[in-house]
Amino acid sequence: MSLIHPIQAVVSNRSGELIFAVLKNVIIAYRYDQTNGKYLEMGKWEDQFSRDEMIKIAVVKEQARQLAENEEKGIKKSKTNEGNTIEKKHDAKIPVPGPGAPPIYSQIRNLMISNDETMLLACADSDKSVLVFKIETLNNDNCLKLIKRQPFPKRPNAITITEDDKTVIIADKFGDVYSMLIESPVIENIDEEFEPILGHVSMLTGVLSTTNNGMKFVMTSDRDEHIKISHFPQSYIVDKWLFGHKEFVSSICIPSWNSNILVSAGGDHGIFLWDWIKGEKLDEFDFTDLVLPYINENHLAPDRFQNEENDLKEFAVSKLVSLPNNPYFAFFVEATKLLIILEVDQSTYKMKLLQKIVLPYYITFISTFSDDKTMGFNISLDNRESGDKDFVKFIALDTTSNTFSIKEEQSDEFNTSIVNSFSKEDSIVKVELDEVYPLYNIISLKKHGEHYS
Amino acid sequence: RAHSNPFSDHQLDYPTSPDDMNWSKLFPHYYDSTTGKMTKDVTIADIGCGFGGLLIDLSPAFPEDLILGMEIRVQVTNYVEDRIIALRTNHAKDYQYQNINVIRGNAMKFLPNFFQRAQLSKMFFCFPDPHFKQRKHKARIITNTLLSEYAYVLKDNGVIYTITDVEDLHNWMVKHLEEHPLFERYDKEWEDNDKCVQIMRNATEEGKKVERKKGDKFVACFRRLPNPAIV
Repeated sequence: MSLIHPIQAVVSNRSGELIFAVLKNVIIAYRYDQTNGKYLEMGKWEDQFSRDEMIKIAVVKEQARQLAENEEKGIKKSKTNEGNTIEKKHDAKIPVPGPGAPPIYSQIRNLMISNDETMLLACADSDKSVLVFKIETLNNDNCLKLIKRQPFPKRPNAITITEDDKTVIIADKFGDVYSMLIESPVIENIDEEFEPILGHVSMLTGVLSTTNNGMKFVMTSDRDEHIKISHFPQSYIVDKWLFGHKEFVSSICIPSWNSNILVSAGGDHGIFLWDWIKGEKLDEFDFTDLVLPYINENHLAPDRFQNEENDLKEFAVSKLVSLPNNPYFAFFVEATKLLIILEVDQSTYKMKLLQKIVLPYYITFISTFSDDKTMGFNISLDNRESGDKDFVKFIALDTTSNTFSIKEEQSDEFNTSIVNSFSKEDSIVKVELDEVYPLYNIISLKKHGEHYS
Repeated sequence: RAHSNPFSDHQLDYPTSPDDMNWSKLFPHYYDSTTGKMTKDVTIADIGCGFGGLLIDLSPAFPEDLILGMEIRVQVTNYVEDRIIALRTNHAKDYQYQNINVIRGNAMKFLPNFFQRAQLSKMFFCFPDPHFKQRKHKARIITNTLLSEYAYVLKDNGVIYTITDVEDLHNWMVKHLEEHPLFERYDKEWEDNDKCVQIMRNATEEGKKVERKKGDKFVACFRRLPNPAIV
C-alpha cells in the first residue's frame, strides 16, 4: 500500500462544489457532480520551483558586487609568481548546506479563495512567495492558472484579501505586513522596492481586513499576545490593540454576520470574543474541560521545559473559523480529534457549546462552506495510519434538527478521488517522514522565557 | 553585556494591558491610597535609558511630570534602580527624584502594553544601538513600522528626541522620521531653544563619553502631527 501525504489544507467555494486541497507542495482541485455524487479532478498544480537556481542567482549577484567593490578599492585579485595579475573567472558555486543547516521545505500554505470566487491564493515556502491562481471553471484540463508569483523577503505566514479582491495583504514570519495589488507587475528587487505597510517586532500569525462604517481596517495577530488594529490604507495610524491574551495568538476571525465582532484564540485555553470597535472583550469561553480527554502524549512539553513528574502538557488552538451566515464558530486544538462548535447569543454576546464532533484522526485544518442551501465545515485529517482513507471529512448542518453531522458518503467519494488522482510515481506518494508538512507546529509558538539576560 | 537581542523571548514582566499596569510601586509618592489611584500618569519616556543619566537630569527640570526609563539589559536596569533609590533616600526631605523610575522591558515589543493612546508628551531615544549590519536594520529602534506605534502613544504635538554619535544612524533616523506621515522635524532654532536638547546633549553617560573623545553629536527632534482625516 502506497501512502499519500496527508492533506494539510482544504478550502471550498461557498456552495462546497469546488474544492481545493493542498498535499505538501501540490494543490489539487475537484468539482462535486451532484448528478452522480462524484468528485471530478479539475486541476493540479505542483510547486516545482528550484531553490538551487535562486541561490545561484543570489551568489552570482554577490560575487559581482564583491568584484565591483574590489575594483573600486583597487585590490589586486591574484598574482602569479612573475607578478602578473590574473583575472579569475569562475562560475558561481552553489553553497552546499552542511550538517545542521535548516532543511529546505517545498510546501504550500495559507490557501484561500477570493471573495468573488474567481481566484485562489496560496503561499509557497520554496521562494517565500504569494501565488495567485485564476480559477478557470470552464477549463476541465486544469482549472488552476497561475497568474502571479511574487516572492517576499521573509516567509509569508498569513494572508488575506481586501473586500474588492484587488489587494492581497501579507503578514510575514519576521513581523512585517505588506500589501500587494494583484494587477501590478511582479517586483523583482523585493528587498529594495517592498516597504512594509505596518509591522510588529514579533512573528505574525494572522491578518484580516474589513470595512466598518465606511472605514477600512487591517487586523494583525502575533506571538507576543498582541492583536493590533490599523487603518487601511493609512496603515501608519494605529487604531487600537486588543489586550487580554496571555499566550500567543494563532487564529483570528471576523464573522460576516456582525463585523463589529472579532474572535481570537491561540495558546490561552479560551476563545476570546471582542467588540473590536469599542476595544472590549465581551466573553471568554474556557475549553479546557472539553479538550482534556483528548489531550495525549503528543502534547507533552519539550524535555527542556518538562517538569519533574514528566507530565506537563501544552496545547493550543490551531485554527478557528466562523460560519458566514450563522452565529457559529468552530475550532480545534492541535493534535486532537475533537472539533468544537460554539454558538454566540447575538443579544448578550456570550458563547456556549453547540456541539462536539469526534473525528477518526487528528484534525489538521478547517474551513467553511455556506450558501442558501447548505452550510458546514471542510476538515482535513492526519490520516497517515488509515491506509489512504479519511483525508477529509465534510460536516454539514441538518437544518431540521439543527445539528452538524459528518457527510460520510460524500467524504468517502472525495477520498476515493484523491487516491485516484495520484500514482505511485508521484512525489507526494511515499514521502519520507521528515518531508511531511509540519502538521503540528502551532504549540512551538509558546514562549518559555528562555533568555534570562 | 553591551547589547541585547530585541527579538528574543526574554524573561520579562509586562502588564497584559496599560489598564493592568501597577504604577504605584514605581512612583509611590504619586499614589493616593484613599482613592487607590495615581495622582499623575507617566508622560515622558526614555527608551533605552542606559545608566539613567538623562532621567536624573530631567527629574528636577520636569517636576510636574512622571518620567519612565525603559532598558532591556538586566544589569543596567538594576544599576539604575539602585541609583534612583539612593537619590530618593538622600533627598527624602524634599521628595526629590520621586518622579523618575526605570523598568526592564523590551519597548520594541511591549510599549503599547504600558502606555495608553496619546499618554506621552515626550519620548527620548539617546545613543541607541546602531546595528550597523544591513540585515540587522529591523533591530533598530527607529523604523517606519515602529514609528506608527510611537505615534500612537504620543499625544498631538508630542516630541520625539533623538541623539547619536553615529552619523549613519542619525541619517537613518532622520530619513525614517521625515518619511513618516505623523512626524515633522523641528528646525535648528527650536533645538537651540529647547531645554531637553541641552540636557540630552550633556546628561547621558554616552553623551559625556562622546564629549571626552571630542566626537560629534547629532540631534534631531520631531513633532507628532495630528492624525489626518481617515479616508
